[in-house]
Amino acid sequence: MPVTMIEVTGLRVVLPPDLAAVDGVDLAIRPGEFVVILGRSGAGKTTFLRALNRLVEPTAGVVRVGGREVTGADDVTLRALRRQMGMVFQQFNLVRRMSVLDNVLAGRLGWAPPLPSLVGRFPAEDRRIALECLAQVGLADFARRRADTLSGGEQQRVAIARALAQSPSVILADEPTASLDPALTGSIMDLLKRIKAERGLTLVVSQHQLATALAYATRVVGLRRGRLVFDGPPDGLTPAAVATIYGDEPAK
Amino acid sequence: MRRAAVFVALVLLAWIAWDTGADPARFVRGLPWMLDFFQRMLPPDLRVLPAALVGAWKTLEIALLGTAVAAVLALPLGFLSARNVASPGVFYSARATLNFVRSVDTLVYALIFVAAVGLGPFPGVLAVVAYTTTSLAKLYSEAIEGIDRGPVDAITATGATRLQILRWGVLPQVLPLFLSYALYRLETNIRAATVLGFVGAGGIGFYLQTYLRMIDYPAASTVLLVTVLMVMVVDAVSSKLRARLV
Repeated sequence: MPVTMIEVTGLRVVLPPDLAAVDGVDLAIRPGEFVVILGRSGAGKTTFLRALNRLVEPTAGVVRVGGREVTGADDVTLRALRRQMGMVFQQFNLVRRMSVLDNVLAGRLGWAPPLPSLVGRFPAEDRRIALECLAQVGLADFARRRADTLSGGEQQRVAIARALAQSPSVILADEPTASLDPALTGSIMDLLKRIKAERGLTLVVSQHQLATALAYATRVVGLRRGRLVFDGPPDGLTPAAVATIYGDEPAK
Repeated sequence: MRRAAVFVALVLLAWIAWDTGADPARFVRGLPWMLDFFQRMLPPDLRVLPAALVGAWKTLEIALLGTAVAAVLALPLGFLSARNVASPGVFYSARATLNFVRSVDTLVYALIFVAAVGLGPFPGVLAVVAYTTTSLAKLYSEAIEGIDRGPVDAITATGATRLQILRWGVLPQVLPLFLSYALYRLETNIRAATVLGFVGAGGIGFYLQTYLRMIDYPAASTVLLVTVLMVMVVDAVSSKLRARLV
């Protein structure tokens, strides 16, 4: 196993017209870490995560995953690297009209033979993996339901199953609990923690809630205005460090 | 400014009314003749009902086949003319082609295709395909431009290829809309196909024109009644189906 799972050097992302959403970040994440990216909304957390798998194109800097360079990778290499990084979104981003199982099967697209997948056919092995992932998030009985008939919390579990179906080594989760009832925050974070342990994954989760970061992270990375302003274990988050991350206003 | 615009518009319309010879008095003087026309249509001559039904069935066939073929042909065109899918060069040339082909009505295409392949329902089908493909492609592309970006991001993040992203991230979002648009075009195509027979492209219009030329108004009124019924039935069925899609 490589010593560094994700290596970010001098990452800069300028969004049009000229907002430096990520402004020179260096970070090395080791396998098995549970990293929480902490910061106020607009601090650059989402852009940072999306630059890791190039859903947003970095302006400058280098991103390596498992030792291979993501930035500058050609199409085929980029797809292979994306496959290694499951992604979970704030708005779940399920295809609402498709069944739960089809949504999870979409996680296998990076592995499935391209032509049959275009007519909706997946190998039996892929279907087995998808069902197994659904079972792992506790929704085995929901396979045939339409995705938009599920509650928000259930939809996010399906989205996690889709990410798992990629057989990833990393899961990137962008504010996975921000559009859910606060009562569900714990259950989604617990689920992420459990699958991390069961599958030996590396987790990078963005959060704006300090309490959640403290409860789950093995390492906290603080972003403010696109710059890395804190990097350390959760118990190193002194009131002064928190003030640096959140600015003058008190943390939520 | 606004007053000036209203004034200019009124002057323009008044001039057009004069130029087209629009004259309410002339219309009123013509009313008795219309009444006479309707009286001579009654009662409908039901002996031509079998012929009218055959014509109606042909019209239905032209609209169904033409719309179905167009609904499929419009798929690739729709993606190529969607701003958020195609590259700018492809997008602009596809949109320009669509607008060009769409600027001519089905009836004009029928004239061209009758000249090309001869009389009968076949040139009618071709005419429906030509117009409907481009008008559906335009509607499809607008549906594609209105999709939710989120699922597309999610499918992209799985390592999917561009085609897989279209198939799994875009298509499921737009397919119900596509079907709904195709049904809507079917309704308008039924109407368009009723007059295709006027130019020799088959269907019920052929019978209507023939009886009118023969000054057999009772027969023509039977054909008209069948046409109205057919359009109403197709509209009702189609809008029921569309309501279930969205």
